[in-house]
Amino acid sequence: MKTVIKISLVILFFSTLLFADNYVVISGSKMKDLSHSQIKAIFLKKITVIDNINIVPINLEARDSTREKFENKVLEMDFERLKSYWMNQHYLGKRPPISMQSSDSVKAFVKNVEGAVGYINASNLDESVKVLYKWSE
Amino acid sequence: MRSLILLFTFLLTLYAEDEYQLGKGAQVGSLPLYIGGYFSLDYKHEDDIDRYRIDDIAILGYGDYKNFSYLAEFEFKEMYVQTYKNNIKNTTHNNKLYAERLYVDYNFNENYMFRVGKYNSSIGFWNLLPVNVLRETTSNPMSTNILFPKFTTGLNASYLYYGNGEIKVDVMLQHNNDLSYEYNNYKIDKHYAFGISYEMDNYTFKLNSGYFYNLNDSVLYHDLYYMLASAKYESSKYQVLAEVGSQKSKNNYTTDYAGYVQGLYRFTEQHLGIIRVESYDDSVKKIADDMLILGYTYRPLRPIAIKSEYQFHSDSTFNQLLLSFSMLF
Repeated sequence: MKTVIKISLVILFFSTLLFADNYVVISGSKMKDLSHSQIKAIFLKKITVIDNINIVPINLEARDSTREKFENKVLEMDFERLKSYWMNQHYLGKRPPISMQSSDSVKAFVKNVEGAVGYINASNLDESVKVLYKWSE
Repeated sequence: MRSLILLFTFLLTLYAEDEYQLGKGAQVGSLPLYIGGYFSLDYKHEDDIDRYRIDDIAILGYGDYKNFSYLAEFEFKEMYVQTYKNNIKNTTHNNKLYAERLYVDYNFNENYMFRVGKYNSSIGFWNLLPVNVLRETTSNPMSTNILFPKFTTGLNASYLYYGNGEIKVDVMLQHNNDLSYEYNNYKIDKHYAFGISYEMDNYTFKLNSGYFYNLNDSVLYHDLYYMLASAKYESSKYQVLAEVGSQKSKNNYTTDYAGYVQGLYRFTEQHLGIIRVESYDDSVKKIADDMLILGYTYRPLRPIAIKSEYQFHSDSTFNQLLLSFSMLF
């Protein structure tokens, strides 16, 4: 009986991993490797230039579930706290990242615009973009 | 001149390209120029004094192009003040438009940034977001008024390092006149300062130190040195903020200490409770005070703040009620 329970738990564990949603932060192929704190700083507009290239962070739409996961996991801020952050940044002369409607639009933009950085569900990933960071839910 | 600036700004916003959202400003056409602003009205009741004031009306313009970014802010300060003291009415008007901030930044890369112009001195936390609508209470802590110059006109170099956390180093240099002396808490022509901060998860720690030359003829000491230590914890529900510092001349402490600890609790997105404990000892003016400040802020929308606070002072004649309405647009 104990063996059956153990096997069931192992299967459950691997099933969870198998079906966990994976997400990636992407850029064009020329972008250098970036750390988690650098990616966070890019989306908070603390970093605007890397290697003399203007960095263009791209968000998904405000209530997109991938965006919510990105903000919680990578930026480590919830929606309300980010709203407050960007209100303060307006006084300091900074704008929030531009938004796009779909992962396909983000991927196409990242592929074609030097310095663009976005995030998508890993299931939409292909070899045309570089993966800077991965996380799963 | 000021009417022309206001008219020009209004006309520019008519050409805003995106749909306007309160508190976010508007882009002018497709230019790298965003226009916004803020204003603040307040009321103070203290013993036998009642004061009604239009405190701030300000216009912001900013944008970026390649490695450059810029910001310009013009403000009417204390535009209208009506005071009743022992039932005697006194009204003052100030129609002068001040250049509050005016600077250009150049971002070399992800680590180095260089700024030239007039800017909020990068000291502590409070001084970076000093306008009513953004701060948590109508009043400012005394430590943010008496220890260091709020504004610097000159150069600011920043270095940012991203490891496990974020380290920022700031060097501020002023060796020239202020862009507008009237719009600063100290009349200065020299300010050399250094600051370092460390941010990790929800915590930020900061240390600032500097020297400035006070041009005011009526003061005892002109060469003044200061230091300030600050800490902040922020989560979705809470914020705890503490700043403490000291100021001295070459030989004597001019302010032995000035500091505060403030706690903020977000009951909901709209309703916030604030408690602040403050203390300071100004050796030159021979004033020392301890304060307990209780505040409640209602934000029907995030860029609008309706605030109330009551201040209990160690000398109860200074106890006061403050109410304010402020908006960012």
